[in-house]
Amino acid sequence: MSKLKYEKPVISKITAGVPNKFGMPAKQRIISEIDGIPVPKLMEDFGSPVFVISEQTIRDTYAEAKRAFETRYPKVQFAWSYKTNYLDAVCNVFHDEGSWAEVVSGFEFQKALSNGVSGSNIIFNGPEKSEEDLTLAINHNACIHIDHFDELYLLIETTRKLNKKARVAIRVNLDAGIYPIWDRFGFNYENGEAWNAINRIMLAENLEMIGLHTHIGTYIMVASAYAVAATKLSNLYMAIYRKFDHWLKYIDLGGGFASKNTLKGAYMPGSETCPSFDEYAEAISNAIISSEIPHENLPVLFMETGRALVDDAGYLLTTVLANKRSTQGRRTMVIDAGVNLLFTTFWYNLGVFPSKEVSTHVEESTIYGPLCMNIDVIRDAINFPQSKVGDQLVIERVGAYNMTQWMQFITFRPNVVMIDLEGKAHVIRRKENLDSLQSFEVAIKK
Amino acid sequence: MKITEEIKISDNGFVFNSKTGDSFNLNPFGLELIKQIAEDKDFESIRNVMLEKYDVDDLTMEKDYYEFYAMLKHHQIIAQDDSLDFK
Repeated sequence: MSKLKYEKPVISKITAGVPNKFGMPAKQRIISEIDGIPVPKLMEDFGSPVFVISEQTIRDTYAEAKRAFETRYPKVQFAWSYKTNYLDAVCNVFHDEGSWAEVVSGFEFQKALSNGVSGSNIIFNGPEKSEEDLTLAINHNACIHIDHFDELYLLIETTRKLNKKARVAIRVNLDAGIYPIWDRFGFNYENGEAWNAINRIMLAENLEMIGLHTHIGTYIMVASAYAVAATKLSNLYMAIYRKFDHWLKYIDLGGGFASKNTLKGAYMPGSETCPSFDEYAEAISNAIISSEIPHENLPVLFMETGRALVDDAGYLLTTVLANKRSTQGRRTMVIDAGVNLLFTTFWYNLGVFPSKEVSTHVEESTIYGPLCMNIDVIRDAINFPQSKVGDQLVIERVGAYNMTQWMQFITFRPNVVMIDLEGKAHVIRRKENLDSLQSFEVAIKK
Repeated sequence: MKITEEIKISDNGFVFNSKTGDSFNLNPFGLELIKQIAEDKDFESIRNVMLEKYDVDDLTMEKDYYEFYAMLKHHQIIAQDDSLDFK
């Protein structure tokens, strides 16, 4: 006689608390495969934990964003935000789709060049640009977005030394009706600082003013804020024409579109509340088209969307290391992926899912990472089915920022794998090892 | 140690503690286990029954049993006389 299927014994207290508007999900969602490859196969081949990126999802998401803008505005150009994920394989998918590069440091600039991006298709943002960085950008004819007056004068000085012209835009910070107002980057619109900077640039002989840029914030959940920003940049665009008889080439609305992740403290899930690409595109395009800019002189619209284009394409596969009970009887679980790999877990309630059919009995649980650090909490409260040691879990929507803001701490950083359009998995960044890490260390000679 | 007198266990896995007013849900395996504990069987005999009946190894069974037992104590379903008691 065959034995009955075993399930861990569980007793759960029934609590009559605040009623949950959504109730319990009818069925636990399971992620058993990514782009046709079973999760156990990926973990067998590439270890645990392992980041997995879906090329198909990147291309589908990009196509959706592109369609949203191009059906509403005649001239749109995306520039891939390197800091969001600058693994070469990821950048090259975006470049293959037609994206330029948006970089914020000399390192990222060099990375874009090494990926074959033409210097004139690189937008150079950020508050940190050394003379060496500016020289590199000028020599490659990049679009330099000036952040502050000290940078403006360093740039003028550098162009004189090189006896070359630089193509520039300014970064404008403005009140788009949202909180917080990001005013630490660029020149302020409302107090006239931006207009002052524009006037100085227009008078500088070696600077060619070609655009205006703003980045109103991150994870912007109100599309209308972009309409306010676009209207203000359009006003500057027209003011430059009126005073200097000069048409700029582009307006750059930066990034900041929300992904479908759910922010900590949010009542509704991000997938329900975040604006779609269509809503953002509608707000921005309408604002520029209905401004006083003549239609024959409409600028190219640059978008530096990062998070919303790549978050959905990234997964982290992880393994259950232990189940524990806290002194309050609360169920806790330790997995082999910690906050050192998942920087975005500080902002989001990341989705964690089993990779196979599990117990129907869910219990509110805390999920810890493997680090010997109290802050290593992946989810502080999640209704999760019973899992046993060795069970494989999938954390979704981790494609943005985690693979750039991760840190080597206590454990090695794992393999990163990309599944191509034919469903084949490729390592695009190898797991670290002791040799690779120690290669940076230098022994003191005595 | 026995399950306290105030505890009532229904056949569908509902547990009520009339002393504290708390109520609980058990999954099917938890229900089977608590019934055997209520019959005052010791761990050895419970284990033998369960290993015979279910597709589980002895270490997993032991680990899960003691975690379950600890939760019964935590919820005051089993009286704890001695904090050093290990059963």
